[in-house]
Amino acid sequence: MQTKYRSIRGVCMLENTIEISKDDLLSEVQNMDYNNYRFVTATCVDNGDGTFDVYYHFDKNYEMKNLFVKVKKEEELPSISKIYFCAILVENEMKELFGLNITNIVVDYGGHLLLTDDAPDAPMAKQQIVIEERKADV
Amino acid sequence: MGKTVIPFGPQHPVLPEPLHLKLVMQDERIVEAIPAIGYVHRGLEKLTEIKDFTQNVHVVERICGICSFMHAMSYCKCIENIMNIQIPDRAKYLRVIWAEIHRMHSHLLWLGLLADAFGFESLFMQVWRNREKVMDIMEETAGSRIFLSANTIGGTRKDLTKEMLVKIQVILDEIESDLKQIESVFLNDYTVKHRLVGVGVLTKEDAYKLGATGAMAKASGLKTDMRTTGYEAYGELDFEPIVHTDGDSYARTVVRIKEVYQSIDLVRQCIAKLPEGEISVPVKGNPKGEAVVRVEQPRGEVLYYVRANGTKNIERLRVRTPTFANIPALLHMLPGSQLADVPILILTIDPCISCTER
Repeated sequence: MQTKYRSIRGVCMLENTIEISKDDLLSEVQNMDYNNYRFVTATCVDNGDGTFDVYYHFDKNYEMKNLFVKVKKEEELPSISKIYFCAILVENEMKELFGLNITNIVVDYGGHLLLTDDAPDAPMAKQQIVIEERKADV
Repeated sequence: MGKTVIPFGPQHPVLPEPLHLKLVMQDERIVEAIPAIGYVHRGLEKLTEIKDFTQNVHVVERICGICSFMHAMSYCKCIENIMNIQIPDRAKYLRVIWAEIHRMHSHLLWLGLLADAFGFESLFMQVWRNREKVMDIMEETAGSRIFLSANTIGGTRKDLTKEMLVKIQVILDEIESDLKQIESVFLNDYTVKHRLVGVGVLTKEDAYKLGATGAMAKASGLKTDMRTTGYEAYGELDFEPIVHTDGDSYARTVVRIKEVYQSIDLVRQCIAKLPEGEISVPVKGNPKGEAVVRVEQPRGEVLYYVRANGTKNIERLRVRTPTFANIPALLHMLPGSQLADVPILILTIDPCISCTER
């Protein structure tokens, strides 16, 4: 697999990162599994412009490789938990805390892994805080 | 035969922190286990986005009370990598000393909890009596028993005097001597072995595939230890990862006991090699870029990801703690086990729920 450096706003970013489209995600992850990589975790970053950066971190002999996917809000992102079962927790967490639309997670908590019914939606996402005008009870 | 769902936790005598498991049972045997967490979720990752990047050292330290020093060290390393800061050699050794003292405290705490879980009260008290000596070292050297606050971006905030180093060595001798007596009970006592041997076997292949880390992986035969990558002063120290091949609860206990001895040895090596000089370098400007750092905590590999945008606030901090990685392995081990073994199985992953939920 080719190694290349990614850059965001002119700053050199994570080494050994490959940028892929969400359509290629499952095949690339399958490739990682085939090459005997261990799934370490995934990281979601809200860019604040309606897009999310999602990293999938893999390790083999202490060498880390990252798959990078950019997704738009509401856009579907396939779950990798059928290939790596150990991704269930982090995928549920990203779905819940960032509002990522991850589909077909093997064990889907439906937004209740960490949060309760009355918790705000996607609390880790960058949000515009709107303060409602107070009205007197009549 | 019908199935019964038994809720295990979130409050249970064996659990120091709240973890809930829905156990689907057939007679006394577990068919399926579904975890439910979220009882101590504090949103600390989000908090780091509104704090100054230097203040975050103290925020991440509060992710966990047991491996707090290594959380702060991992975060500092991330920022240092982004800002290309070379910390002084003395600071590298000091970080290793405190990190290994924390590992000892964590493993001894766990051994005590394990003894308590299988009902060996006096063993539990002997282990924790020994652990108190480790806590004394931390209090004497950093002024605090848990949150040392010794890390800073660019090195350490505190130094060790020659008198402290001598005292540490004296206390380490006592800890080692006491541990030898305790160890024989853990490893040879009939009742202890009866509760641990053959319970919760995790094969090497499963451990790797399920992303297990720390003692969970090492006890299953995986020779994995992030310290061997040589971060801080580990590259100049002589050690090998502790590995066992049986993959059961007994093997995980053996690994952790041996790691306490290894930590004692590493602290001694550091004290012998501790160079003179500064303990920190000044830091100018704000970080811009992103970095991933992996550090070997007592429970295994922790991953820190930081993205910074050149302001005093970082854009994103992500922490993947070892317990988070070990829960899928626990879910794999539980089916087929007896209900009576569940407390031991949960304990042998050394769960830290505060870490997991952040």
